[in-house]
Amino acid sequence: MKGLGKLLVPVLALAITSVFAGGVQAAPATIKIGNIIPLSGPSASVGIQGKQARELAVEAINNSGGIKSLGGAKLEMFYTDSKSDPTTGVTEAERMINTEKVNLLTGCWNSAVTYPATQVAERYGVPFVVPVSVRDTITERGFKNVFRLAAKDSWWTRDQFQFLKDMQKEFGTNFKKVAFVYENGDWGTGFAAGWRKLAEAAGYDIVLDEPYPSTVSDLTPVVIKLKRAKPDVVFLTSNAADAILLTNTMAELKVNPKAIITSGGGHADPSFMKAVGKNAEYLFDIVEWEADLNRPGLKETNAKYKQKYGTNLTGEAVDAYAATWLIKDALERAASTDPAKIRTALASTKMCGGDVGLLAYDCIEFDQSGQNKNANLVIVQLRQNGNGMDRITVWPKSVRRAGYTPVFPQPAQ
Amino acid sequence: MESFFESLISGILTGSVYGLTAVGLTLIFGVMKVINFAHGSILMVGMFAAYWFVTLTGLNPYLALLVVVPLLYVFGYYLQSLVIQPIFVAEKDVREPITVIIVTTGIWYMLDNLALLVFGAEYRNAHTAITGKIFEISDMYFQWPKVIGAGITILCGLYLYWLLKHSRLGKAIRATSLDREAAMLMGIKQTKIYNIVFGLGCACCGVAACVLVTLYSVYPTVGVAFDIKSFVIVVLGGLGSIPGAILGGVIIGIIETVGAQFMAATWTELLMYAVFLFVLIVKPSGLFGHKLDF
Repeated sequence: MKGLGKLLVPVLALAITSVFAGGVQAAPATIKIGNIIPLSGPSASVGIQGKQARELAVEAINNSGGIKSLGGAKLEMFYTDSKSDPTTGVTEAERMINTEKVNLLTGCWNSAVTYPATQVAERYGVPFVVPVSVRDTITERGFKNVFRLAAKDSWWTRDQFQFLKDMQKEFGTNFKKVAFVYENGDWGTGFAAGWRKLAEAAGYDIVLDEPYPSTVSDLTPVVIKLKRAKPDVVFLTSNAADAILLTNTMAELKVNPKAIITSGGGHADPSFMKAVGKNAEYLFDIVEWEADLNRPGLKETNAKYKQKYGTNLTGEAVDAYAATWLIKDALERAASTDPAKIRTALASTKMCGGDVGLLAYDCIEFDQSGQNKNANLVIVQLRQNGNGMDRITVWPKSVRRAGYTPVFPQPAQ
Repeated sequence: MESFFESLISGILTGSVYGLTAVGLTLIFGVMKVINFAHGSILMVGMFAAYWFVTLTGLNPYLALLVVVPLLYVFGYYLQSLVIQPIFVAEKDVREPITVIIVTTGIWYMLDNLALLVFGAEYRNAHTAITGKIFEISDMYFQWPKVIGAGITILCGLYLYWLLKHSRLGKAIRATSLDREAAMLMGIKQTKIYNIVFGLGCACCGVAACVLVTLYSVYPTVGVAFDIKSFVIVVLGGLGSIPGAILGGVIIGIIETVGAQFMAATWTELLMYAVFLFVLIVKPSGLFGHKLDF
């Protein structure tokens, strides 16, 4: 009897669990989505933007009847703080999967957290949607369950050169001499490596390839060198203080390239535009997303977001928002909470316009590696507007601000 | 050739501004035998003072000298008498009071973080009348703020030289520097001299700050960029020597600017330290330093 009881308990437990599991499978009340994002620490502001955007999307999805193919199941969001810490990210991914039993995971913004957290999801076979995390290798490990929406790191330089090519074509120029000036950290040298390869492939002539220490207090020597090299196009990667110094010194020493193409970072810092003013006129900067994109539905979504949270949409928020709609779309097509079916649905995604129309490109489609192959970056031109500077989207041409003609090449000063 | 001259002159001009930032450090060390780690932060305080003066009044940045220099003098005077002096008293039997160095490090962290709290991490540029003004000699461009900065460096150096060599106060300062106990026996009030010297050192930072504010962004950790350079300059020129600091600055400026024309700018930093090491090996006391430490 004793032995039988020992045997009976697990058997009963198994039976009960399978009944419940079967029951959930048949008519899920909610689909659980785990979101691992930085809600405290240095990246908290982007994490919070992402959370707000997700909530805005989930509210709209649930109010319009949830996932119809699953009997109107609602999306239930679980948020957890990664603290921008890889170890916390891994622990939270485990907890989300094992304790909260989530059907899907999203996150984590910090590449350093996304990289190991997606590994956990891959091991358990839980689909993981990555709105933004730029490290190339996140989708280059042969994983089946990881899908990234945003462009990866190496695409930044790719798009800078594509932009230059497109502009040369549009304005009928043939510039050959390029110069690279970049801070000598990981970021700057990484960009420079990309530029070098692309420039050689496209047949550009590299007249200057100049790293400088990022804690520099004077950039006159670099600028003198740049002036002597007489490049047509200058590519820059700088942090805020050196971006300011470089831009001002270039204007003072009358370095007159035909175009200056920068890499975000310091050049996208609000204090940069304030500090350099008209010295940055005509400069081209690359970004993930810009608020003035010529896209349908953007203004309306932005208005809703602003009314609810008091700020405008950001690139991070837009990707998180689109990722939530992407999940909805995939669930609708999967018509199941089976991870394998959700995975297949995600892999065969083709979402164009509509709910994800505010992205800088037309359609979300994933390649073999799970990378959104249509994701691209946006190039803006800095123009003086009254006392301040304006960032005007110019590339890709399909999203260029209505009625704006870029100034290319820039006039000599 | 043109770009060589352009970079040489530009290097001399930049270097004299570096020299100016180092004068205060060398002055304080020469007399008090204290390495002031808060030097960069005091420079930062001066730059914020100059920035706000220029931004709020819209006046010429060099008029800020009239306000910022006395302000920093008073700041330094009381910083020494209220914060550093008590440590000196506690350590009065030690020849080179190490604890004081730690206190200056504390002041550095405190000032930087205080500035971060009050002003935020934003980069601010003073839009002064002189910012961005250049002059041209046969296709070579020079920045006016640096030219004026070099002029101010020379004036400041001459004034300090006169003060130390010929004034009564200067004699008292030098006496204290040579032997503080003997000076005290001669009736020189050591604490008073220390207060004045620390004040003077900070006032020099104030002068440098007014020059830098026309060239550089102001932010809470701006001192760090000039700090390490100042230390190298001071040791290169000879600890405690004012002409040494200015010359050291010019040497660093030339290495940085001319060197960058022949190699990547990252490598000039290496060259700078190579020259620094070489000087230390050949003449350990620096270019203008005394062979014997009194």
